[in-house]
Amino acid sequence: MGKGKPFLEVLASAIHEDFRFPFLEIFAFLYTLGTFAMANFTAGVYSQIGTNETVAFTVTSSLIGFSILIFLILVFKNIAYGLGSELEKGIIQTYFSYPLKRRAILTAKLLSGIGVSLLLFLGIQISAFYIMAPDIVLPQFGTIVLTYAANLSYPLFLSAILLLLTLKLQRGGIGLVVGFVLYIAMSIVSGLALLVATSTKSPLVLQIMSLISPSYALQYHYGGLANVPTLSLPWTPTLTEATLYVVGSYVIVAALFILGYVYFSRRLNL
Amino acid sequence: MSLIVAENLGKHYGSVVAVDSLNLKLDEGSVTGLIGPNGAGKTTTIKMILGLLKPDSGVVRVFGQDPWDNPDIRSMTGIVYEKAFFPAHQKTLEYLERVCRIYGVSESRAMEVLEAVDLGEATDREIRALSAGMLQKFAIAHALIHKPKLIVADEMTANLDPQARSGLLDLVLDLNKDEKVAFLLSSHILPELSMVCDSVAIINQGRVWASGKLTDLYEKYAVGIIRVSTDRPYELEPEVKKLKYVKNVDSDIRGISVTVVEGKEDDLYEDVLKLAKKIKAKILGIETGRASLQELYMLAIRQAIKEKERK
Repeated sequence: MGKGKPFLEVLASAIHEDFRFPFLEIFAFLYTLGTFAMANFTAGVYSQIGTNETVAFTVTSSLIGFSILIFLILVFKNIAYGLGSELEKGIIQTYFSYPLKRRAILTAKLLSGIGVSLLLFLGIQISAFYIMAPDIVLPQFGTIVLTYAANLSYPLFLSAILLLLTLKLQRGGIGLVVGFVLYIAMSIVSGLALLVATSTKSPLVLQIMSLISPSYALQYHYGGLANVPTLSLPWTPTLTEATLYVVGSYVIVAALFILGYVYFSRRLNL
Repeated sequence: MSLIVAENLGKHYGSVVAVDSLNLKLDEGSVTGLIGPNGAGKTTTIKMILGLLKPDSGVVRVFGQDPWDNPDIRSMTGIVYEKAFFPAHQKTLEYLERVCRIYGVSESRAMEVLEAVDLGEATDREIRALSAGMLQKFAIAHALIHKPKLIVADEMTANLDPQARSGLLDLVLDLNKDEKVAFLLSSHILPELSMVCDSVAIINQGRVWASGKLTDLYEKYAVGIIRVSTDRPYELEPEVKKLKYVKNVDSDIRGISVTVVEGKEDDLYEDVLKLAKKIKAKILGIETGRASLQELYMLAIRQAIKEKERK
């Protein structure tokens, strides 16, 4: 018996549960609404600002803005409520009775919980780009990819933290609450970091924040935040530096997921 | 060949010792009962055997291999958990067909096992819509899908009505007889286990206190058990306990079970009649016979405690 088929069946089962009616329909609607509404909103704005690269970055960031929150909610639901509840109720025990390695079961759950959510998010975003702004997609492809990578790193970082919490707590509801508290706490911390950086003129706090959420580094590179003029910020990274922060953040995200895998495979007692 | 071997197995939760130096063996083709009171360590032992819990000490081997994260063992083992849970929003037949594909067996097997546990009418139902008893049956069907050589079941008959229990015990016997499937059945419902088990391991406070073939255990622990049926068992029990040659007395609503020193059986018959007269109890019958699994269990535990105290 090949090992691919059992894995695909567990993946199919996980997708069936994570995206059962009406979750898929609701989230697809929210993604579409968010993406196209934001595109309409930004369409008039981007023509008035900077270089082609900056325009591509601004439009992409605006498009991502609302949908990334939907992505985060969907992933939190799937990890905390989905995986957490399955750990709590014993469905993972049932999966453990199948001829599959533990890491394959976790991969199936993460592919369903995060991978499918990401596909849905990207699918709608890319469609929006081609429909709303085809003239900036191909010429600025690199900038757009980098902007997506930078913006997705932070929700993936939170998802990895939530995964570790969920595996440790083995509870669905608590994991979900802790996840959202964590999200709000991180938002407050990032706001405070910006205040500290502008008042002390020290770039260190911004650099640390950029390692967790590299979209900041990219924002500072492309001209700062809308409500914080670039000139008042003590740090303007080059594109290479900003890219390195994106790579660094993914190294952190990968390390956290690997930690989750190691815990799930070697330490998780049910 | 031993399908399960556990040596000096230990597991604790904080300061609570759940399993302590536990030794257990399950031979090919055997139906072994893991018996003990609630909290004795049965479920923890089973979870270690199934690779769901890592032992803090000792070694467990299933089919000669470490069960932790071992897919090879899974394809030869059927598992029925005490509380069965499955993806709730999938239909019974659909899900079992999926399980067939996971194990690489024909999808028609799904219907076969559903019918074997009397769920042939519930193929279109979502798993979440099953009653507790039906869910338990579904769990058993799920464990049978890949025709395992070993089935490990924790409180398999919990939630089942008497008819379903009886049917399930027959299924265990049939599978064992016809397909040589070995079973490790954990339960505290001893009369049921005595109907199907050829061996038992008596577990208490995380340790196996006695184990082996039932016939050997009866011979070892249950020599000289005499059953006295009476209308006043609770009054008769303390009187009988005073007799010097009596090793143990247990009472229930219908009578007392007495263990005596070998060769003193006739003395007991006479003394019981005298004592009954004294307390004005009616003796409805006296018989020497094989102890029930319950009595065997109590005797084994008592003897083990005595041995421990002696040491």
